[in-house]
Amino acid sequence: MGRTTGRTKGRGFAALAVVVPVLLTGVAACGSDSGGSGGDVTITFVWWGSDGRANLTKKAVELFQQKNPKIKVQTSFSAYQAYWEKLATQTAGGNPPDVLNVDSRYLAEYGGRNVLADLNQGAGKQISLADVNPELAATGVYQGKRYAVPWAQNTPAMIYDPAAFTAAGADPAKGLTWDQFADATQKVSAAGGFATRGATDFGILDTTLEIWLRQQGKQFYTPEGKLGFTADDLRRYWQLAGKFRDTKGASPADVTASYNTSPEQSPLGKKLTSSEFAYDNLLPAYKKANGKNLSVAPYPTDAAGNTGQYRRPAMFLSVSSRSRQQEAAAKLVDFLINDPEVGKIVGTDRGLAPNLKVRAQLAATATGNDKTLYDYEAALEPKLGAAPPVPPKGAGAIQKLLQRTYEEVAFGRMSLDDAVNRFMSEAQKGLS
Amino acid sequence: MTTLRTPDPPVAPPQAARDRRRDRPAGRRRGSQPEAFAFLTPWLLGAVALTVGPMVVSLYLSFTDYDMFTSPKWIGFGNFAHMFTGDDRYLQSVKVTLIYVLISVPLKLTVSLLVAMLLNRSRRGIGFYRAAFYAPSLLGASVAAALVWRALFMGGGPVNELLAFFGWHTPSWVDDPQFSLASIVLLGVWQFGAPMVIFLAGLKQIPAELHEAAAIDGAGALRRFRHITLPMLSPVIFFNLVMEAIHAFQAFTPAFVIGGGRGGPADADLFYTLYLFEVGFQDFRMGYASAMAWVLLAVIAVVTAIVFRTAKLWVFYDDAEDRK
Repeated sequence: MGRTTGRTKGRGFAALAVVVPVLLTGVAACGSDSGGSGGDVTITFVWWGSDGRANLTKKAVELFQQKNPKIKVQTSFSAYQAYWEKLATQTAGGNPPDVLNVDSRYLAEYGGRNVLADLNQGAGKQISLADVNPELAATGVYQGKRYAVPWAQNTPAMIYDPAAFTAAGADPAKGLTWDQFADATQKVSAAGGFATRGATDFGILDTTLEIWLRQQGKQFYTPEGKLGFTADDLRRYWQLAGKFRDTKGASPADVTASYNTSPEQSPLGKKLTSSEFAYDNLLPAYKKANGKNLSVAPYPTDAAGNTGQYRRPAMFLSVSSRSRQQEAAAKLVDFLINDPEVGKIVGTDRGLAPNLKVRAQLAATATGNDKTLYDYEAALEPKLGAAPPVPPKGAGAIQKLLQRTYEEVAFGRMSLDDAVNRFMSEAQKGLS
Repeated sequence: MTTLRTPDPPVAPPQAARDRRRDRPAGRRRGSQPEAFAFLTPWLLGAVALTVGPMVVSLYLSFTDYDMFTSPKWIGFGNFAHMFTGDDRYLQSVKVTLIYVLISVPLKLTVSLLVAMLLNRSRRGIGFYRAAFYAPSLLGASVAAALVWRALFMGGGPVNELLAFFGWHTPSWVDDPQFSLASIVLLGVWQFGAPMVIFLAGLKQIPAELHEAAAIDGAGALRRFRHITLPMLSPVIFFNLVMEAIHAFQAFTPAFVIGGGRGGPADADLFYTLYLFEVGFQDFRMGYASAMAWVLLAVIAVVTAIVFRTAKLWVFYDDAEDRK
């Protein structure tokens, strides 16, 4: 008899032991959720980039909080690749940030899966795009819905060391053909005893492939989201890169393989090459890493002089469709894009201000690196085309695929034809 | 002289403990169960919420097509079939991981045993050396150690310079498909501290009189190592082998950092776990990633079972005779 009571009592005790901590955690969870009480709202805002960018962005956010005392903004940032990993996890966990940065490579991934709010509807309507270049503004629209607004405009460009190229008798700022560029890089390499090469091997870069295709009237992705080029196009592109590699104008394979999207980690940033294809707004970061007085130049062209360059949305701002604070989130986005003070604070870190009036004000007073960029884009403006259609889902992986398969060629582990075939078949699988 | 108690399961609990348990009145033992559960509750909650729950979910996901945003679609064994029929990178990741396990585990065990034997002497300051040799494995799977490794082995780094001094001009180790994996293996071997400490404890348990007797009978150092040290140490070798093999299959951080977070040059460092991570968190194919995780678990289980089976042939338990 004593045994039975002992058991029941024990069971009750065990049940209590299980239930109490569960209740406690439940209460704790409720406690952390009540950020919206008392009329104040809290929104979260995330982006990718360096510490320097973070400092500028936090200043802009502080200004927003001063002007909107009822809205509190919690910020966080990470490096490009880690940013996407974190964002995917947060989104899958049902806890996405309210305001976030999106890259065109991932716009379809997130927009197409209803993670991002359509800014043509509801609270998003208060975001003014009246002063934004319409072609640039259009880049945030995917399948008829405005999932994002551009926060800055940049342009694919060549970052180079003018002293080295002048010594080799070439002036990239005036525009070179691909043949002249090949010739110049070879001379630059030879002048440096082949320790510092003329160019970072561009066979791994999807943006450079895209520009090269556009120069021939082709495109990387079709509006339907398929590959816009053939195996033969890719073979010719890699043959072009191969010419630079064989003449030692471009970096050797092990240097190319160390390429990383951050300027500090790239061959040009590590002083192993004298030029690299990147984006014009990265000039200050490259200068700082490389130490020389680098500058920006347009892409080399074919004989007809088509640059193939376009107004690129450097970074999009989006609002999560699951955000409970759509009003506050939209307000922050509008502020970041259109406020002249923000334009002054963030400068050209992400690229040129999207609001043309703000941009004109800033251009008039710009100095140093900022002035270089404004002058560069102003000179290029008449030649810039409209941005290509939004890349399809899976575009983020295509960039890495291109890098990987080209490395097989550069290290001599795979024939050109095999690598081309592997790229085409894997890309088609990844995009379907 | 006490015999060594290895931490592995096949060894029976000591006789004294068994006797103690038998002495206890049966009623009291039953009665104490609820309290035991009460004290276990924090652990049980953790285990269920953080381990068992996610495992069940991931088992379910492994049979689905799941992109983390839309709800999972049931596709049966589709993920598993794709691994072995339609995914070259998967096979590459299996190849890289097997090479790593087959080279790094024996190498690490050999090095750790040799260092343990060196440190198994009584000298002044031996404690310092033991600590110094153990230190690298405290840094273990840390990102910092891997970053330093990358800096050591990259183009123009100290290793490059040193080899060039001796006339061997190598490319950047970490960025060349031929050398990259070797640099990761070396990092793994350098972190030999954990098995070394266990070997050291094992060596200390070998009765000195065995060595003395053999030496008097004229056995040399090599012979004593072969016929006394190795057999007496075999349970410890067995334990270390199992643990290191499991760790090696799951290696992630060094490959992630040294390979630049993308599988290294031309996929030369595409470890299984790295590919799993990439598929799940970068390509949004969480169903496929879950399936890969379960295949890895199955493979580790099978390999461990095989090692346990062969243990009978080469592991010598000194106390086996006592038990008869």
